[in-house]
Amino acid sequence: MNPLTLNAIRKPGVSLTLAAVFSLLMMGLVAAPTLAPDAFPFLQSLKVDTDPENMLAADEPVRIFHNDMKAEFTLHDLIVVGVVNERNEQGVFNVETLSDVYDLAEFANSIRWEEDGERRGVIAVDVIAPSTVDAIEQAGLGSVRFSWLMPTAPETEEEAVGVRDKALRIPTLNDTLVSADGRAIALYLPITSKDVSYQVAGLLREKVAGFNGEATYYITGLPIAQDQFGVEMFVQMAISAPVAMVLIFALMWFFFRRVNIIISPMIVAMVSVIGAMGLLVATGNTVHIMSSMIPIFVMPIAVLDAVHILSDFYDRYPAIRDRRKTLEHVMRELWSPMLFTTLTTCTGFASLAFTPLPPVQVFGIFVSIGVFLAWFFTITLIPAYIMVIPERAFEGFGMGAEGKVSDHEQTPLARFLHNVGGFSVERAKLILVSFLVALAIAGYGITQIRINDNPVKWFTPDHDIRVADRALNERFGGTYMAYLALTAAQADEAVLMGDDAGRRLGELGTPAAAEVSAELVRARGNKLTVEALLSHLRAFGEKRRDAAVADEDWAAWDDALLALDAAAQAGDLFKQPDMLRYIARLQYHLEATGLVGKSNALPDIVKTVHRDLFLGEETAFRIPATPEAVAQTLITYQNSHRPQDLFKLVTPDFRKSILWLQLKSGDNVDMGAVVAAVDTFIADNPPPAAISHDWFGLTYINVVWQEKMVSGMAEAFLGSFVIVLILMAVLFRSIAWALLSMVPLTVTIGVIYGVIGLIGKDYDMPVAVLSSLSLGLAIDYAIHFTVRSRELYARIGNWTETAKAAFGEPARAIFRNVIVIGVGFLPLLLAPLVPYQTVGAFISAILVLAGAATLLGLPALITLFQTFLFRKRSTT
Amino acid sequence: MTRPFLIFPLVVLLGIGLALQFAQAAPDVQEVVDRASAAAYYQGRDGRASVHMSILDSQGRERTRDFVILRSDMDDVDNGEQRFYVFFDRPADVNRTAFLVWKNPDADDDRWLYLPALDLVKRIAPSDERTSFVGSHFFYEDVSGRGPREDNHVLEEETDAYYVMRSTPKEPGTAEFASYRSWIHKATFIPVKTEYYDEAGEAYRIYTASAVEVIDGHPTVVQSSMADTQTGGETKMSYSEVKYDLGLPDDTFTERYLRTPPRRLLR
Repeated sequence: MNPLTLNAIRKPGVSLTLAAVFSLLMMGLVAAPTLAPDAFPFLQSLKVDTDPENMLAADEPVRIFHNDMKAEFTLHDLIVVGVVNERNEQGVFNVETLSDVYDLAEFANSIRWEEDGERRGVIAVDVIAPSTVDAIEQAGLGSVRFSWLMPTAPETEEEAVGVRDKALRIPTLNDTLVSADGRAIALYLPITSKDVSYQVAGLLREKVAGFNGEATYYITGLPIAQDQFGVEMFVQMAISAPVAMVLIFALMWFFFRRVNIIISPMIVAMVSVIGAMGLLVATGNTVHIMSSMIPIFVMPIAVLDAVHILSDFYDRYPAIRDRRKTLEHVMRELWSPMLFTTLTTCTGFASLAFTPLPPVQVFGIFVSIGVFLAWFFTITLIPAYIMVIPERAFEGFGMGAEGKVSDHEQTPLARFLHNVGGFSVERAKLILVSFLVALAIAGYGITQIRINDNPVKWFTPDHDIRVADRALNERFGGTYMAYLALTAAQADEAVLMGDDAGRRLGELGTPAAAEVSAELVRARGNKLTVEALLSHLRAFGEKRRDAAVADEDWAAWDDALLALDAAAQAGDLFKQPDMLRYIARLQYHLEATGLVGKSNALPDIVKTVHRDLFLGEETAFRIPATPEAVAQTLITYQNSHRPQDLFKLVTPDFRKSILWLQLKSGDNVDMGAVVAAVDTFIADNPPPAAISHDWFGLTYINVVWQEKMVSGMAEAFLGSFVIVLILMAVLFRSIAWALLSMVPLTVTIGVIYGVIGLIGKDYDMPVAVLSSLSLGLAIDYAIHFTVRSRELYARIGNWTETAKAAFGEPARAIFRNVIVIGVGFLPLLLAPLVPYQTVGAFISAILVLAGAATLLGLPALITLFQTFLFRKRSTT
Repeated sequence: MTRPFLIFPLVVLLGIGLALQFAQAAPDVQEVVDRASAAAYYQGRDGRASVHMSILDSQGRERTRDFVILRSDMDDVDNGEQRFYVFFDRPADVNRTAFLVWKNPDADDDRWLYLPALDLVKRIAPSDERTSFVGSHFFYEDVSGRGPREDNHVLEEETDAYYVMRSTPKEPGTAEFASYRSWIHKATFIPVKTEYYDEAGEAYRIYTASAVEVIDGHPTVVQSSMADTQTGGETKMSYSEVKYDLGLPDDTFTERYLRTPPRRLLR
């Protein structure tokens, strides 16, 4: 027997103390720096991170670009507050609701506080609310007015409706601030960083609770969803995991009937989880959406081996009637399957370390550590624990004990399993054929898998966040933001400017222009930068202009200088009418896909201002003919309360412009379709000048990490499949047996993913991670069954009899395992977070399938191929 | 009998002395503000200046505007009616864009806008004057002058060189600030600094006059800036070719000249 176990049996107190010290140490390592960070500056405190953005490494190009663009266009994460009033004829456009909305906006503007010398909260200047945005309108006598859309709360119903009518005329507000049906309002509150969203949302809810009006307020947006998820994740860790533990405990009691004994697997699970999580925190890793799932993954695996030991012990004890001897027998029998199941499970999870996603790497490594700890404590703690329980406590313990059933092979469970064994041996061919059919159907199912995720859908459909999400996306352009950046291709600005200046000076046709033109030709020979070339020519012209005596001469030189400066703007790509019209067409194309509810871009501003400069007539709702006209429209726009808004859509040098897209769905497939729609449009419609296009925004980032996750998981899975196969070959010293033991896992995973494809469940983050769990769990039963069967065969020498014996204790251990862990994880279905439900449902399904595939498939295959599998043994 | 006659003049003298003392301690606040307004916006009978404006945003990105301001005070009355003409020279694509303003201290201003590329003269309806001036951090009202009677003024502090005035709007709904403080230079009455405060008492806009020159006998701000702590940007204006009392004819400030600017005056 292994010296570790032997020691534990001989000196149980040492093992128990060791486990206790280890747990306390781990808890102390986490608690000390978390509760008293100043006293333990050298220790890592508990850090929580609920940001799905961090699924990607901080230096991931898409994130760097995302952050650069957000900084360049001063964009912030947004909290969206939807206001809906279904009881009033005019929706929210009544005095009472709008007064509340006004109050709410004023309140939101005041949400700010200092933290660590940094300003946090709502960024008041960028809030989009009726009282904080400008409206442009006709003001009689052909004059135009720029004013706040709703400077104060309205006093009459006419004024209230007037706010709506004004907003609906302005494309950047219609369907963004005011719903297209003119009945609801959405406020957009930019926040300093995502991690204040929960706090800000809390303050907003409090404020809204004080309103007595008819309106309903929905607070949503990706930052809220993410923060909310983080909070609920912890509730989940505190509720679901313990409930699962209780249920596992109850089921073990059902099987083994001894509370004092079945406490031991619970202790093993606890110590393993504490160890894995403690090490995670102590090594400075964050508790993230992925790593929060570590306890839920470690627990079933930790209990698994202990259940095998208890099951075997339960079955043997009545015959041996000495706990030490029974223990020695059991541990000898189970040593090698337990070691190998641990190795294979560790392999499955450790392979995740090779995915390109840091949180997934951390998850894989620490589940691996947890599994290893579970093994270590199973082979030391369980024997030690059994040894410290007095012998008399085992009186009447075990299968068929107390003389109720004289032959323990006669219990209903035993009889059932013997029937299963008989069936699988006799109907081996039928089973093989069913497996093949199942695999074929699963294969088809896998081709139907839709890879998709949406962090908002991590909440159940009746969750506040989902309700708000539906309410707003039904009425508005969309609450999922994505941004398309268009960048002018790098051009030789000196050439561009030089050519344009030459043309403009030529058109002037004055002697002054000719002189400047000649100087231009001379200077261009020196290959100067555009700035150097310009300042040289300006100095040249200014000197002559200022020396001019006659007004006409002065004017001629002044015109030549103007031509130079006009040429200097030749590279202002996003003032070019044809480029703006191109963007407008792209917007139209995207909105026609039905996925983009609304888009805001530079052409919308230009067209709106242009229309209202020309008496508000719809025919004037267009891009004017020249870049100068565009520039003058835009300078008019900037005479507003919020001139900075312009530079949320274009850079001041007009070389980079963005489209703000509001999507109705945050599903990655939908974002992916929008990306494809843009690619198609640009391929079919070459832009008027060379531009590059890039995406950013949280909705897009989710797509990128999902792509990495799917490909990373597939590679990790294939890699660990091969490693497990090699381990099996080492364990059995036979390729045939190794391949055989892989069958249940292949069938299990095939069927699980086939079903996912067939029922249309999206292949999302938890489903992807489950592939490694199913690999680790499904192989376990096969190892136990094959190792024990081979041992039995070595003694019995005949497969038919061996099969009967294998469907005794070994099969019972597997069956009890399936029930205990499979049922034990069903409470996760009650979780309010969908990823936990998914994990619960799939762990259960994986265990049941893997158990069935092992108990039916392996005996059937061994029966069919027995001459081949046992060939060596029969020849020796 | 002689004593009361002696005492009476003493009492009178004392009274005058006290009154003088009092007057020096608390000058007429409204008069100070009126004089400050006159010093900042009404020097001479008329005037012109070339202005270079540099708008820096929080990222340090610069935009510039060059324009000429022509101004004439009607009947040469300080804090009275005034006419402005702002003619844009650069950037090249807004060249010849122009504003015409008829400023009425007791009513809304009349404003016109000329956009040459659209060949459009547009009247701008009276509304809030506290909006950005051509995308800069200065408000339209900072350029034309806020009426000295629109706020209630309190002398908060008097230093050797400055009156520090606290002003709160008479109609709070018409301005975005809760109050502002200005440092008015005692000798010239030029406000050299103004801070605007929000409801929370935080300064979010800061005007600074950073250079003053005496031109044609008039102390003139030749460099000023407006910083915005909310968006984190700043606009600097520098004035050159400042001239006073040019004798600008009244018809310069009519709609007709928006389209055909008086180039002679802009030179």
